[in-house]
Amino acid sequence: MERDGFEKNLGEKELRKSVDEVSNLALDIGGSLIKMVYFSRNSDSSVDCSSNGTLNNSILSGRLHFEKFETRMIDDWIKFLSTKQFRFCGSQCNQASANDTNIIKATGGGAFKFADLLKEKLGIILDKEDEMDCLVTGANFLLKAVHDEAFTYMNGEKEYVQIDQKDLYPYLLVNIGSGVSMIKVDSDSKFERVSGTSVGGGTFLGLGKLLTKCRSFDDLLELSHQGNNREIDMLVGDIYGGMDYSKIGLASTAIASSFGKAISKEQELEDYRPEDIARSLLRMISNNIGQIAYLNALRFGLKRIFFGGFFIRGHAYTMDTISVAVNFWSKGEAKAMFLRHEGFLGALGAFMSYEKNDPADEASHQIVKQFPNGSYCIEDGFQSSDSTNASDDGCITCRLQVTK
Amino acid sequence: MDSRRWQSKGPSTENTVIKATGGGAYKFADLFKERLGISIEKEDEMNCLVAGANFLLKAIRHEAFTHMEGQKMFVQIDQNDLFPYLLVNIGSGVSMIKVDGDGKFQRVSGTNVGGGTYWGLGKLLTKCESFDELLELSQRGDNRTIDMLVGDIYGGMDYSKIGLSASTIASSFGKAISENKGLDDYRPEDISLSLLRMISYNIGQISYLNALRFGLKRIFFGGFFIRGHAYTMDTISFAVHFWSKGEAQAMFLRHEGFLGALGAFMSYEKHGLDDLMVHQLVERFPMGAPYVGGNIHGPPLGDLNEKISWMEKFVQKGTEITAPVPMAPPGTTGLGGFEVPSSKGDTLRCDASELNVGVLHLVPSLEVFPLFADPKRYEPNTIDLSDRSELEYWYTVLSEQLSDLVDKAVASEGGTDDAERRGDAFARAFSAHLARLMEEPAAYGKLGLANLLELREECLREFHFIDAYRSIKQRENEASLAVLPDLLKELDSMTEEARMLTLIEGVLAANIFDWGSRACVDLYHKGTIIEIYRMSRNKMQRPWRVDDFDVFKERMFGSGDKKPEPHKRALLFVDNSGADIVLGMLPLARELLRRGTEVVLVANSLPALNDVTAMEVPDIVAEAAKHCDILRGAAEAGGLLVDAMINIQDSSKESPSSVPLMVVENGCGSPCIDLRQVSSELAAAAKDADLVILEGMGRALHTNFNARFKCDALKLAMVKNQRLAEKLIKGNIYDCVCRFEPAC
Repeated sequence: MERDGFEKNLGEKELRKSVDEVSNLALDIGGSLIKMVYFSRNSDSSVDCSSNGTLNNSILSGRLHFEKFETRMIDDWIKFLSTKQFRFCGSQCNQASANDTNIIKATGGGAFKFADLLKEKLGIILDKEDEMDCLVTGANFLLKAVHDEAFTYMNGEKEYVQIDQKDLYPYLLVNIGSGVSMIKVDSDSKFERVSGTSVGGGTFLGLGKLLTKCRSFDDLLELSHQGNNREIDMLVGDIYGGMDYSKIGLASTAIASSFGKAISKEQELEDYRPEDIARSLLRMISNNIGQIAYLNALRFGLKRIFFGGFFIRGHAYTMDTISVAVNFWSKGEAKAMFLRHEGFLGALGAFMSYEKNDPADEASHQIVKQFPNGSYCIEDGFQSSDSTNASDDGCITCRLQVTK
Repeated sequence: MDSRRWQSKGPSTENTVIKATGGGAYKFADLFKERLGISIEKEDEMNCLVAGANFLLKAIRHEAFTHMEGQKMFVQIDQNDLFPYLLVNIGSGVSMIKVDGDGKFQRVSGTNVGGGTYWGLGKLLTKCESFDELLELSQRGDNRTIDMLVGDIYGGMDYSKIGLSASTIASSFGKAISENKGLDDYRPEDISLSLLRMISYNIGQISYLNALRFGLKRIFFGGFFIRGHAYTMDTISFAVHFWSKGEAQAMFLRHEGFLGALGAFMSYEKHGLDDLMVHQLVERFPMGAPYVGGNIHGPPLGDLNEKISWMEKFVQKGTEITAPVPMAPPGTTGLGGFEVPSSKGDTLRCDASELNVGVLHLVPSLEVFPLFADPKRYEPNTIDLSDRSELEYWYTVLSEQLSDLVDKAVASEGGTDDAERRGDAFARAFSAHLARLMEEPAAYGKLGLANLLELREECLREFHFIDAYRSIKQRENEASLAVLPDLLKELDSMTEEARMLTLIEGVLAANIFDWGSRACVDLYHKGTIIEIYRMSRNKMQRPWRVDDFDVFKERMFGSGDKKPEPHKRALLFVDNSGADIVLGMLPLARELLRRGTEVVLVANSLPALNDVTAMEVPDIVAEAAKHCDILRGAAEAGGLLVDAMINIQDSSKESPSSVPLMVVENGCGSPCIDLRQVSSELAAAAKDADLVILEGMGRALHTNFNARFKCDALKLAMVKNQRLAEKLIKGNIYDCVCRFEPAC
């Protein structure tokens, strides 16, 4: 079942795109999910050799693609890729097929873990990029180059935030993957992992699976949508007999103890609705991340907190809870912001690192990203405020500058 | 909730008002009123928590401790430097309170992931029936089967660049994702441990971030979630240590679960406990402590018979939870095969369900000895029993002495069947205490030798052995008093300076009589008390191992023409009955009196071994006074002979200007003395004193050897223990200590 879904999901898209020229595949292999970013050249676009007056350079128009799948399905993925003869072009893809050893930029723990496997099965050599480097590069790129990338989410209202490129730093980047990393970003190249927590997306899915028998992250999120956490969480009102404990600023609906009601009843796991459990779990984890993130932002005097990573998945309730937590603990002074391409920060960063490609390989074409200041590297249509241009499948239309 | 005067029957409860706090005080107020007729006076929860914590931290010594990698270390809190601190109370949820002073505090943060989450989620995931069961499960768990570690992601490698080792948890429960397993495929033990780590670590982290925010160096963790559970405390400590890079410390409270209730109790204004001082509280660990920890199983056993049968029942059921304690048969070492309990060193060791709290006895008359040079730096114990080998040594010593002590105790009560039964129960109870302390030396707070010895005396008293050495003491007193006149005559024939040396020699020689010393007990079989005393005195040869006599002599007599002023008042802390006091300390006291120094004999309030008690001293003095005018005059001046006067018909007209000889009790019932808790009489008597003489191993070596005083101090003892001799003075058994320390 999953496999069908997986193949369908990935297969259709790839089949459609395989007619395009695909290059610069970059991977972020995390504990739960593998994220891919790659560039596909528009089949009808021609090489424009005059973009900045250098004959050595050419501009490729095309789209940046963002794909993901579950890490545990890696065998299926390998099988799939090997049958489709997908070309892994670490460099310029036109000639890549001639080369048996393909180098792909990769990051995430899995880049280490699966390096041998990919080499053996697909002849791919993973060029490992540091995970934090990639996350930050990816985030910086998105925040600078892509309009309407960041938004706040409160009470179901999504509001895009215009980021002044000159006033971007410093900020706190919270990447919620299986675990959570919190990174203070000071400039394009300067950053520091200042904190983190092990209570992250992996905890949500792991505990959720154990408690609800849900199979996938999305199912679990879907469940949570229909749940009511009051059934399981002990609220301040439950303790104070419906009264607020207003003296210390706790409303009666505030959660005093996540899963605290599961104590006091004679009920067992089967007696609770999976929906309610999923909801409680989501609130617990989101709230916790929001709180720790805020405390760290406070510590370093950071006004802006960007949340990314696959835990969020544009899920309204998750974002809402994180926002509420940040808002509550900061007394409204700090705001949680989210990124549209939240799940692909690492993969995107790995993708960007092709810039530093191996100079020893003289035959290959150097591809230099051409996004640095956004204004001319992004296709016009994308620069408009019409956010749909980022398209539903998450593609970003863009151009690549190719150095010959 | 605290009930003031709980009355389980009768209609008189109608007007009962009890103080209560916690959300339930609101929720159940009507229920209490309806069912029990009890009105609940609600106290603010945070108020109570803070009041409780402040009280504990100020009033109870060794209340706070750190817990890292299985090691418990007690922290001495300076009362004047307590604030500000962060109080983290982990109940169902977690409150984090910044405390700036008494009644000055602010809830600055909290988290909804707390004890309720652990228990709630744990119950759903493991079907455990109780919180304790869940905790116990965690002890045998391995979180690596469920948590995703950094090594799992990085293929066994550290992600060292950002300081994460391969064993760091990257994602709690993260492994439950990637395998096709259901809940039933995981061991409940592993689940419980993962959950415990996740929650403890999270609390530690958020607490640290809040402490950082307000610049608080100390974080105290309390609340029922912790329950003395080693792994919980370790995890929290680790989190605080990790995130603060070692700058902040997590501390725990022994009475962690009772902060709120204690605070509610404190809010009764009438009990006047607001200004409780640490020296007024004595914590006792009753018989049941080693078995049940602080768990309350029904009412306390007030009746002696109940206690004995309870102990017997325990033995019959074979439920001795700790290593069986060998009862040494007379004449054997008894402990040849003793080994360190094997459970030691396992990081998952658990004190679960044992709260390690005793009953606090309020003794308002206790005070701090006023003559410390630096009260803050005073530490009574010379021997630190946190040193494993020391603890084992003393464990062996006490175990070996046990059967002999039981014999004496039973004999002191007439050797009846009842006494036999009590003796047996005492032996078992004390053995259990010992075994418990071997397992967990810090079980009852920081453990020093003084505490250990006092525990034995307390344990005897608990089984109504009032004075196990009564008859021995009496016999020795009589024998010694019989030879006193000859000794005094001999002394009076000497020059003043020669006499002083002989007197000090005499004190040291007479200190050989000590039933606490195995070596000395063996000696007693070889001769009469007087023979031993004479032999001992003949062997006194200077220089002693520690010999400040010349300095002392100079203080007393000066050099050249300069005659120093005699001391105004001397406090003589006496040790054993018999020759020790009669032939040692009393003649020294007499000499001081003769020089015009007031003398206060300081003796134990309660019996301990063959130590003389304050009750017994006046009779001894009265008897001695029959043969000595100086003593008689001084004793009369000191009011000691009021009762004894009747017996002294032939009292001649003493000099009316005689300086007084007085006796005060020291407030304790142990061979050692913790001078932070002495009787108010002693404290009062000490105010005018300019000389302190501590005599005997217990008072001058085991404790107070390193104590410094504002006035002159003389410490006199014969070392009757080879190990102590080597350790303390690099000498041998029967070496002597004469340490004189001028006022600092």
